[in-house]
Amino acid sequence: MNNKIVPFLPELLRHLFKKPATVKYPFEKEAVPEGFRGNVVCDAAKCIGCMICVNDCPAEAIDIIRVSETEKKFKMILHNDRCIHCAQCVDSCPTKAYHMDAEYETAAFSRHDLKIEYK
Amino acid sequence: MEFKVSLGPQHPALHEAVSLRMTLEGEIIRDADLKLGYSHRGIEKLAEERTFTQNIYLTERICGICSHSHTTCFVQGVEQLMELIPARRGLYIRTLIAELERVHSHLLWLGVAGQEAGFESFFMYTWRDREVVMDILDWITGNRVHYAMNTFGGVRRDIDELQKKKILDSLDLLTKRTEYYLKIGANEPTFVGRLAGVGKLSREDAIALCAVGPTLRASGVPMDVRKDDPYAVYNEIPFEVCTADSCDVLGRAVVRVKELIQSYKMIEFLLKNLPDGPFKVKAPRKVKPNEVYSRYEAPRGENVHYIKSNGSDKPERLKVRAPTLANYTATIKMLKNGFIADIPLIFAAIDPCICCAERLVQLDNPRSGESKVLSFSQLRTMANDHYKKVNLLKKEAVWPF
Amino acid sequence: MAILKPILYILVYPGLIFLMVYSTFCEWFDRKLYARMQNRIGPLHTGRSGILQPVADIIKLFAKEDIVPEKADKHMFSALPVFALAIICTTALYLPLWHYSEAPSFISFPGDLIVVAYLLTLPTLIYFLAGWHSNNYFSAIGGVRVLTMLFGYEIPLLLALLSPAVLADSWRILEIARFFQDKPLLMLVNLIGFFIAVIALQAKLERVPFDIPHAETEIVGGQLTEYSGKKLAFFRLLGDIEMVVGAGLIAAVFMGGFPGGLLPGLAWFILKTLFIIFLLAAMRAATSRIRIDQMINFSWRWLAPLAVLQLFIVIIIKGMVS
Repeated sequence: MNNKIVPFLPELLRHLFKKPATVKYPFEKEAVPEGFRGNVVCDAAKCIGCMICVNDCPAEAIDIIRVSETEKKFKMILHNDRCIHCAQCVDSCPTKAYHMDAEYETAAFSRHDLKIEYK
Repeated sequence: MEFKVSLGPQHPALHEAVSLRMTLEGEIIRDADLKLGYSHRGIEKLAEERTFTQNIYLTERICGICSHSHTTCFVQGVEQLMELIPARRGLYIRTLIAELERVHSHLLWLGVAGQEAGFESFFMYTWRDREVVMDILDWITGNRVHYAMNTFGGVRRDIDELQKKKILDSLDLLTKRTEYYLKIGANEPTFVGRLAGVGKLSREDAIALCAVGPTLRASGVPMDVRKDDPYAVYNEIPFEVCTADSCDVLGRAVVRVKELIQSYKMIEFLLKNLPDGPFKVKAPRKVKPNEVYSRYEAPRGENVHYIKSNGSDKPERLKVRAPTLANYTATIKMLKNGFIADIPLIFAAIDPCICCAERLVQLDNPRSGESKVLSFSQLRTMANDHYKKVNLLKKEAVWPF
Repeated sequence: MAILKPILYILVYPGLIFLMVYSTFCEWFDRKLYARMQNRIGPLHTGRSGILQPVADIIKLFAKEDIVPEKADKHMFSALPVFALAIICTTALYLPLWHYSEAPSFISFPGDLIVVAYLLTLPTLIYFLAGWHSNNYFSAIGGVRVLTMLFGYEIPLLLALLSPAVLADSWRILEIARFFQDKPLLMLVNLIGFFIAVIALQAKLERVPFDIPHAETEIVGGQLTEYSGKKLAFFRLLGDIEMVVGAGLIAAVFMGGFPGGLLPGLAWFILKTLFIIFLLAAMRAATSRIRIDQMINFSWRWLAPLAVLQLFIVIIIKGMVS
């Protein structure tokens, strides 16, 4: 069949009664694939304060602050408004303190709401 | 009667801010000019203040569509500076992502061509099928647009057997659909009528005006960095350089569709011949002083990065020549003596990515030859003064110039 | 009572209220079909499966800021949308879509086909004037394209409408429709004319492949670039009502009208117009926009000769029948 006048029409009519390809997004959510780079999650207990992640972060979204003077204890502040979800910190961390979750709806009304603290 | 019309910086046909100044005579364009500089981002300057690792993600953000192209171009340049031989498996995966990216970029372009020609159904269908390759990329890299796959010495993620199988399965569907679109594109009379014979660029002009990518290949010049100066593992993959002789927008579409089919074959080859071994090797943080010129065949054409290192962990200079910049002069040539109706098609046919090509040009005072540096507050006062003047003249001004 | 009846006709059925409700429904139907053909969903959230979306769009436009450009001709610029809507609503009154048997449509008279064809041309002229008086280059180009296209499709459309009239030996829409109701087989004679009329209607409505005057990727909004708010809403309503009236005219002239009194007549009207809108939507989905020169070429090389051929066929058949 080599229809030369309206070659697209059969395809169009065939799809008239087919299920649309659209995903009704806010009502139906599709699962994200494994290994999706969502938000950065830090296990602050594993942190040794080497600051490699702070130096490597392309968006300067990570702050590591020493909590106590005597012990080696750190808290990590993630500025999620700057984070570009590249997961370089996950790769750089020598103690595997970071991982990425599957969250993809990260919008907020204020950039201050996006600051996350891990202790 | 000749009159001037300015298309853009805001115009439905343009996806980014650029201004096309047209001198029209009825429906025919007598003269064309391009005004750039609406979306300058200062990426090259920013790159000088970041480490090489950080710059991988910065170069990725030069372009949303060819994000892998820019990182690969940057990364292979820096690898050369580091005198580092990347892992073979890593190179294969890097090439695989590059070809997947070419597939998604060309499918995107097909849709855009349909949309610019007013063929909305074609746009919807190609973009629906583009989702297949987007899903693959999402699945193997962790993101749909910014894959963040490259690192010095290889790639950041491995590909397992399950992913391999899924990609091979999807390839069948994509091949079938692409052949179908080739059939539609070549047979739908209204669509062919819009594309054929539009935006002529002869072989000589294409070479003289330094066109790159599908624009050049559609003028019958088989020039492709993947063949001429193979990087990554392109010297091991069998593929053909696709060309067309029609020198028009239809030719550019045909070249892209043919390249899609070549890309499917290459992806299949890459997956079937994926070597075992590590996918990355460890890279040093500091780079010896040197300079390098890295070439890469992006979906839009030849992409060039010039990197100069000074012994620290930051580049001294990064210069990016995006393919769009090389095609601008050819676009002006193509636009002249065309119809207004063809402007969006001709302009879209080079697959413009305006942000990628925006660079700052420092202009000296043409009379005295001296250059000056202005602070932000000075610029602000200048702008305010300018608009005060414009407001005063508004009543007498003849629209739009 | 005698005065009340025409007022009721004009305001309620088949006048303003019916037209507004039905035309918005038709727009929804067209959009939904178009979307489904493209494997999309289309309007979804306003009302049941988005049926109120066109109404919502128009309400939104009415609530928007209404800008008249400084350089535009203010009086013409503001008056044109209202004129256009009034003209197209008048045209709708000529459609014989009710009590069919005894009393004809209340303003029907011998020769009303010509009047309807004439009135259908006026919105096109208003589009041109709207573009011209906006004082904008894009609008001016759009306006000129409107007129250029008018020369392309108007004559094939008139010739196509002529052939059933010749066959039925009447210039009255009502009688043409009645003629085809009596002899439904003769409808097949006008098949070519029917398709020409549908294509010309598509051009009149400025939809793909003939949306050249307001091709958004080329000349922004064409003749309507400067229009916003209420005035744009009027033009949108105009487009919707024009689609209903055009489809109704083709249904009445080529497909035997809407017999059977008030309610069956309405049912026929909806069925037949929706069929034509389906054809229009399919044409919109299956083609890409053509250039203005290609459009003129197409209408004079194909549509006009075919319309003349149709006329010859009709004359020969008429000789054979009588």
